Amino acid sequence: MRFPLESRKRGIKAWFGLSLIAICIGVLAPAQLSADNCYPKKPQGLVADQAGLLTDREEALLNQKLVQFNQKTSNQILIVTILELCEGDAAMTAYAIGEKWGVGQGKLDNGIVVLVKPKTSDSRGQAFIATGYGLEGAIPDATAKVIVENEMIPRFRGENFYAGLDQATTVLMELAAGEYSHKDYQKKDGKGGFLSLLPILFFIFIWFMIRYSRTRSYARNNHLGFWAAWALLNSASRSHRGSFGNFSSGSGGFGGFGGGSFGGGGAGGSW
Amino acid sequence: MKRLLIILLGAITLSSCGYNSMVEKDESITKAWANVETQYQRRSDLIPNLVATVKGYADFEQETLTAVIEARSKATSVNIKADELSPDNIAKFQEAQSELSGALSRLLVSVERYPDLKASSQFSQLQAQLEGTENRISVARDKFNATVQDYNTYIRKFPKNIVANMFDFETRGYFEAEEGSDQAPEVAF
Repeated sequence: MRFPLESRKRGIKAWFGLSLIAICIGVLAPAQLSADNCYPKKPQGLVADQAGLLTDREEALLNQKLVQFNQKTSNQILIVTILELCEGDAAMTAYAIGEKWGVGQGKLDNGIVVLVKPKTSDSRGQAFIATGYGLEGAIPDATAKVIVENEMIPRFRGENFYAGLDQATTVLMELAAGEYSHKDYQKKDGKGGFLSLLPILFFIFIWFMIRYSRTRSYARNNHLGFWAAWALLNSASRSHRGSFGNFSSGSGGFGGFGGGSFGGGGAGGSW
Repeated sequence: MKRLLIILLGAITLSSCGYNSMVEKDESITKAWANVETQYQRRSDLIPNLVATVKGYADFEQETLTAVIEARSKATSVNIKADELSPDNIAKFQEAQSELSGALSRLLVSVERYPDLKASSQFSQLQAQLEGTENRISVARDKFNATVQDYNTYIRKFPKNIVANMFDFETRGYFEAEEGSDQAPEVAF
């Protein structure tokens, strides 16, 4: 008689615990989501056109230009168009995006966020260039302001967003390239070279150990030599390899954001 | 031998109860605070330049200028060391600085009445620098608040609060959002 009662008690406890967890997650999740909802989704490249100001072709052209620049110099210039300024003003929204996505390389902080909010019937258009810590010297606030006022806003007034962004990024690229070239980046990054490889080596080691013990038992069970078993197992698992290929397909493209940081540099304007 | 064991055990308990992390988090507050002060300093360093530029326009309103200069000297007189960052002290610091912010924005508004000054390249450069400095101040403040929150949450949780109490780790103050600062100041240029 005692046994079922105990287990029922345990069941109630488990249910209580589970529902508590469900309540906690249920209450917390929407709050976290709503804060992030305002921002566009992190793009695969360096253009996030949430407001839809660019045609597909224009977006691809800008993206190609910026990705190439990133590969050549390690500076990351990100273009974001947005319908709503999530932090209330253009500057803070641009910093928040740059910081959140980590635009620029972590050690150089050489990222730039070019933010555009188009003019709507009840609000002014806003443009802002946010410079990462590392580029504040190459692109001082006054210069950023000149770029916004001379290159971007006159063209944005005529709804010519592509031309404005294209011109502005060209100027920014010239300025930023003088500050950091890829050599600087590799030099600074070189210090952590071996250490950053350690986790990868570790995983390779583990993977090897697993393969090794599996092959050993396979060899023993089938009365085969070790290398014969290894070859047999390899050919059996070849069909799984396909997924590995996907990894390198991105090598010609954008390698991802590098974790750069923003301290409030840059300037903007409105129209 | 026994004493050694006790010391070793004590050391392990302390580090596992987060003493070392508390020290680290405390240090990152010091760093974040230094950055906040640097940015405020940068702003007050810009003011002599601004005053000199504006003064060149003979008929510029004297009261607006004196208000800025006075607020600046008041703001620079309030200095807080990193280990005195209690909520009261931060409020005091913030009050002095926000007075300067107010005086500065009044100055920028009154420049509207002097088209020559407004159009001069020297002024527009200064204005870009001032705006940039205000942005840097708010970013530094946000980052400071984030580090303080991290630290405060850490030391107030059980059982770390016991260790924190033992070694006098006190909760630190935040920058409060200033009244009306949720709307961006409307300065029409």
